[in-house]
Amino acid sequence: MYRAVIIKKGSNGWGGPLIIKPTEKKNKIASITGGGIHPIAQRIAELTGGVAIDGFRNPVPEDEICCVVIDCGGTARAGVYPKKRIPTINLTPVGPTGPLADYIVEDIYVSGVRENDISLADESENNISNIPIISGESKKETFTPTPEIKHNGSPKGNILERFGRAMGGIVGTLYQAGRKTIDQLLRNIIPFMAFVATIIGIINATGIGKALANLIAPLANNIVGLLIISIIAGFPLLSPLLGPGAVIAQVIGVLLGVEIGKGTIPPQFALPALFAIDPQVGCDFIPVGLSLGEAKPETNSIGVSAILISRLFTGPIAVLIAYLFSFGLY
Amino acid sequence: MSYLADFAQAFIGVFQEGGKTFVGLLTGIIPTLVTLMTAVNALIMFIGEERVNNWGMSMGKYAILRYTVMPIVAVFFLTNPMAYTFGRFLPEKYKPAFYDAAVSFVHPITGLFPHANPAELFVYLGIAQGVEKLGLPIGGLAIRYFLVGVIVIFIRGIVTEKLTLRLAKQQGIEL
Repeated sequence: MYRAVIIKKGSNGWGGPLIIKPTEKKNKIASITGGGIHPIAQRIAELTGGVAIDGFRNPVPEDEICCVVIDCGGTARAGVYPKKRIPTINLTPVGPTGPLADYIVEDIYVSGVRENDISLADESENNISNIPIISGESKKETFTPTPEIKHNGSPKGNILERFGRAMGGIVGTLYQAGRKTIDQLLRNIIPFMAFVATIIGIINATGIGKALANLIAPLANNIVGLLIISIIAGFPLLSPLLGPGAVIAQVIGVLLGVEIGKGTIPPQFALPALFAIDPQVGCDFIPVGLSLGEAKPETNSIGVSAILISRLFTGPIAVLIAYLFSFGLY
Repeated sequence: MSYLADFAQAFIGVFQEGGKTFVGLLTGIIPTLVTLMTAVNALIMFIGEERVNNWGMSMGKYAILRYTVMPIVAVFFLTNPMAYTFGRFLPEKYKPAFYDAAVSFVHPITGLFPHANPAELFVYLGIAQGVEKLGLPIGGLAIRYFLVGVIVIFIRGIVTEKLTLRLAKQQGIEL
């Protein structure tokens, strides 16, 4: 008799949660992690009552595999088993990538898994299992295949294996960091650059630039004007409307940048200007931000007022401090 | 006819100017940005969320840490918007002030560490681009933006904390 476990994704992981429960035929937990049985595969075997196998040295027939444990950085292996619809536990926190990305879906694949992401499935949650727990426990005594395998290949492996795995981990993490960066670049940064470049093009190549310069320069080339901007942007009725995505602050930042570049605004006002255009930061997001911090509803309602009122004062104060700190910069 | 041609020329000129700016942004900003963000993203993965959470739990006790180091660590490691989850380590009465401090830091940090808020880089970059166009270095601007940011979030945290306590008292709510 076997028990079911729930495997959740790790902190940087993707997919899942998977419920893994071996059957009489499909009872092998294949550890395909470059030699040896990985502790995670071992753990799954111990909890479910399945057999952990070093799939690297002893290939397992596919129809006997209950799930596979892999440590793939997101090239080939990550997609191979999901494509065959074999539940896949990837120790490396990668999402759907590589040539087989289409097959990596949440119901068959979970990544970034560590030891404490694995837990026994609660009977009530687990609709697959209708076996009483007692029989599972009594069987556990007779069913101890894992220690014997431990002897032929200890989970930690020899020095070379450990070294290789550590190197693989470092390289995999760097690769993953690169992928995350490019993802952010394509998703967030380059689209905004396209938007900004178009605005700058329009400003520079048409008469709008001159008109804007006449409008903005008198406000932004002296400390009094910057204080006025900060008071307006920090006004409690306006600040939540100016906040979303910081789009307005970014556009105004770009406009001021263009004017600084042209010389209509002296560069020593760059630092106070950064604070003058930002007293509304996050004012649109207060309830969401507070609930991310698990605040109670009454904290939430008081928090919104407190923050909005606070900005009215701290907005202009920020501009003054920045002004003091801008001396000697340019 | 020549009038139309002039119009077409002016029309396309607007976008040629925009295209020049776009290429300037791509070649001027992105190469450094990519490698810097990759390095910092890797560092964060090596350190791991659990360790960061453990730090978070230990930092809430003193106001000076609560509105400086704690939001900085939160924004640096968890980035916008997950940084605000650090609020859960604090008693209810400090949560609004912590959020205020953390969210006010998501732009000052971008001068030095753009990974923390990649979708909102142009608050800083917009202005910094102008300064760069004058041939001036922007390193000093980035560092001062960061430092003034720390001072501002500390003041903002304290002010919002006091306001939260006062409003709660006025409304007779125990936080």
